[in-house]
Amino acid sequence: MYEGIRSPAIHVPKTMRDLVSAATRFRNAIYWAGGTYIMSRHDYYPTKDSYDIISLREIPDFKRINRTDRYLEVGPMVTLNQLASIGKQIVPDPLTQTLHELGTRIVRKQATIGGALCTPDIRLAISGTLAVLNTEIELKKLDAPHTESRWVPTGKLYDRNGRLLIAKNEVITRVRMGFDHEDFSYFFCSGNPMVIPDETVSLTLVCSYNQSVITNFRFCVTLPYGGFHQFQDIEVLARGTMLPFSAQQILRIAKVLIEAIESTNTTISALQKERVRRIFEMALHQLNTQSLAER
Amino acid sequence: MKIECFIDGKRTLLMVNSNKPLNLILMEDVESSQFNARCRDGNCGNCVVLMNDEAVLSCLIPAFRLRDAHITTFEGYKKTRFWHDLERAYEDAKSQPCPLCFPSKTLIFESLLRTIGKPSEGEDNDSSLEDETIIKELSLNRCTCLDARELVEIFNSAANYRRRRRVRRN
Ligand SMILES: Cc1cc2nc3c(=O)[nH]c(=O)nc-3n(C[C@H](O)[C@H](O)[C@H](O)COP(=O)(O)OP(=O)(O)OC[C@H]3O[C@@H](n4cnc5c(N)ncnc54)[C@H](O)[C@@H]3O)c2cc1C
Repeated sequence: MYEGIRSPAIHVPKTMRDLVSAATRFRNAIYWAGGTYIMSRHDYYPTKDSYDIISLREIPDFKRINRTDRYLEVGPMVTLNQLASIGKQIVPDPLTQTLHELGTRIVRKQATIGGALCTPDIRLAISGTLAVLNTEIELKKLDAPHTESRWVPTGKLYDRNGRLLIAKNEVITRVRMGFDHEDFSYFFCSGNPMVIPDETVSLTLVCSYNQSVITNFRFCVTLPYGGFHQFQDIEVLARGTMLPFSAQQILRIAKVLIEAIESTNTTISALQKERVRRIFEMALHQLNTQSLAER
Repeated sequence: MKIECFIDGKRTLLMVNSNKPLNLILMEDVESSQFNARCRDGNCGNCVVLMNDEAVLSCLIPAFRLRDAHITTFEGYKKTRFWHDLERAYEDAKSQPCPLCFPSKTLIFESLLRTIGKPSEGEDNDSSLEDETIIKELSLNRCTCLDARELVEIFNSAANYRRRRRVRRN
């Protein structure tokens, strides 16, 4: 039935050194984390050009969860379910919310944080949330003898259109998130990125304020097909504003956001545009409610 | 690739492509009757099996992950004592999944039943599950033959049988 279909060689490195060696020797191999994304592509099997596979699951460092006073550091093979169960005191609120929204437990037990960040042609909400939380990602080049590592903010992993910017021979080796406390956090995902990607949008927003004056305001809008939107100018615009926002201010900021997204040449459907606007407005209304309740 | 694993308790030697999905292996190489339609992308949720006692979508498990794994298909599960809890729950609720999704929904129910009262790495390890969690988890299977109320009723009834079984065993 599958004549001519090649059975890919499977490489299972057990140390970082083995990984570098496998990656250097088999340059076209694909990195395999949980495999949920790779296997859910329509043309995954059977296909004539099956690349070799480098499985990341046997490298102990990649499964490590490390907590210090200042940050939580996780290896790329930590599953989304493990991350969700670390506990609300440690995992920042918007991330907990994002993880709970992400598929079902059966999928979360298999999917990993590294895989979720590196899906090549679809941008998931978790990338936006980690960017808003100022999470840093360690990338390592696996091209012996050039095996240097670098830390980059999550936001720098993608361009505006959500395209993954890491090189083919680079892997995520660690994800580090701080324990910064924000006064307000909001996450909302409308739709399902795997089923209706061109209708789905998600927003993560955090805000801190001091005596009703906004001191910190960060957000990210993700669209599965081509959208990873953080706009510093809008964030700056919001900083220094006195809460609550007036109804006109909310409408104006939401309008500026939509115009900013349109100006990036992103493919965004009319429904997505409407959803972004409404979800963003909803977040600002909730921020108003919270700040008023605390007075 | 040569892989040895256990399917419904039977040691099985497979000669398959290393990246062949488990649902296809069960359909073509093992000829399990649970698998007669090919799902492709994890989106129908009709190919659930238990792998080392955890529910998985078999279309997302490649052959190379099967080495020494214990796979339980619905046929195998029906031979276990656990099945009776769900069988009775279906009778109590006077509703059951349609033939197309029956195996998968049953195995998702089973995976949820295994979490109750057990500390595990999952988020919900309390003695009962919230209705919302039950509905969300069952949504992995996209067939809409049962409504949310029926799903919760079946689960709660099966959970009662399961708790009684545990008490008796202790
Ligand atoms: C049924 C189903 C429902 C889903 N529902 C949702 C949902 O509701 N919301 C949502 O956001 N997502 C959803 N997803 C998507 C899911 O989040 C992704 O499939 C998953 O996060 C990918 O993780 P993985 O470990 O399985 O990655 P893999 O599939 O193994 O890999 C994904 C990509 O990342 C690369 N990669 C993996 N690890 C690394 C690394 N360390 N460094 C560099 N590259 C790497 C791989 O080469 C591959 O290209 C769903 C998926 C399925 C199958």
